[in-house]
Amino acid sequence: MLPLIRLLQLASPALPVGAYTYSQGLEWAVESGAVRDEASAGRWIGDLLEWNLARFEAPLLAQLMRVWADGDDAQVAALNADFLASRETGELRAETVQMGYSLVRLLTDLDAFAARPGWRVRLRALDTPSFPAAWAAAASAWAIPVDMALPAYLWAWLENQVMAAVKAVPLGQSAGQRLLATLGACIPELAAQAARLRADQWSNFTPGLALASSRHETQYTRLFRS
Amino acid sequence: MTCMNAVVEALAGLEPTFSPPPGASGWCAELGLEFARRGARTVLVRRHHVGPLRVQKALYPEGEGVCHGIVLHPPAGIAGGDSLAIDIKVDAGAHALLTTPGAGKWYRSAGPSAGMTQRIAVADGAVCEWLPQESIVFDGALGTLGTEVALHGDARFIGAEMLCFGRTGAGERFTRGELALHTRICRDGRPVWLERGRIGGGSALLDSPVGLAGQPVVGTFLVAAPACDAALRDVCRDIGPSAGEGAVTLLPGLLVARYLGPACEPGRQWFTRLWGAVRPVVAGLPMCVPRIWNT
Repeated sequence: MLPLIRLLQLASPALPVGAYTYSQGLEWAVESGAVRDEASAGRWIGDLLEWNLARFEAPLLAQLMRVWADGDDAQVAALNADFLASRETGELRAETVQMGYSLVRLLTDLDAFAARPGWRVRLRALDTPSFPAAWAAAASAWAIPVDMALPAYLWAWLENQVMAAVKAVPLGQSAGQRLLATLGACIPELAAQAARLRADQWSNFTPGLALASSRHETQYTRLFRS
Repeated sequence: MTCMNAVVEALAGLEPTFSPPPGASGWCAELGLEFARRGARTVLVRRHHVGPLRVQKALYPEGEGVCHGIVLHPPAGIAGGDSLAIDIKVDAGAHALLTTPGAGKWYRSAGPSAGMTQRIAVADGAVCEWLPQESIVFDGALGTLGTEVALHGDARFIGAEMLCFGRTGAGERFTRGELALHTRICRDGRPVWLERGRIGGGSALLDSPVGLAGQPVVGTFLVAAPACDAALRDVCRDIGPSAGEGAVTLLPGLLVARYLGPACEPGRQWFTRLWGAVRPVVAGLPMCVPRIWNT
């Protein structure tokens, strides 16, 4: 039961890494009119979940968990560097670097993680840790199975995006809950696919996201940092 | 220019006669090029080819420091089963610019997949400009386009890639097939850019607002150089495409411009203007548009 509790802590919006300050281009999609109501918000978020998160970040996270568990720190570093290089824009890269830095600080001060032999040193040795690399370290150290970690990671991402839509569009709380219910129902299958995806099948090609995030960098009024 | 026109016309005329050897599943073609600096001159020191991929003579339209090459693929397109490999090395201090004589094509496949691999290695102090013209991905095409760029020291790389899904002039859409993209740029072994994509014919990604948003043309213009900074990014941001959508961002040592639009031409014009802004800063030279682009 303890791994489940640890997973709930890791996937909670209360995790103090500042996730709620990022919209990942969604705020520009609202500004440009691509996202204007519940249906278009659902499409934007659901498509990102399917075409980017489930096909790149989630399988990469699964692989990171495996190599952290195997003690293969060279592979951890290589996957972390790949993830950083896969960030499409300056803002998206800055986001994962900031969240990764905050999570590393948190974990290295948290006895539940840092007191486990070796983990503190291994995590601190990672150069420019991305958010998924730090998250995967905690998930591995706490013996959370990959098939539980992936749906939870995708859920945390989804919840954050829907809350960003609730603020930015804006949408009512009921609309937000409907989106979470509908899109959340896709997660079990997407997570299962992600866990099986071979590295040569990973795909992060979402040019609409790249454009939106690039444009967000010069958006005049904004609530979010990405 | 007349000479180049003649080459292009001759190649166009040859198109129907270029077919793989009987019994082969497709063309297997390789082109290896190496550029080196000799005094003030960039010299094409090695040229190796197998099958229908080659480069005509080294051209010097902007003085001897920069060697231009036009990569020719006489079948004019890639068919199912073809395997093409381009390997370019630019040695220390040399400067090479490579382009193609016209739009590339990925033909509809009857079943087998095709592959095109582009490997580019750029040494310390060298510049490589990889500026092929657009590729048209026919409905039903099946292929993988892999691009690996290895930079060393302060090597500079400027690269463009523009893809048009479906022969839009004929009203064609990309309804079947798949193009897989793998692009990786490393500097001294560390990745600075990584993009992987699988664009399926008829896939929801083509119409999705996070994907191609219903536009047939997607382009990426990349500049990897130590000189890429916020000032250069802001100069580029003041330039916009005449049609379609374009945006510029900055990553460490890398400037990225993206285009999504209804046709290649506005994207190409935008990339050319960006190139005009970037080249003096990154390579210390004014833009020199290859004449073949105007033919």
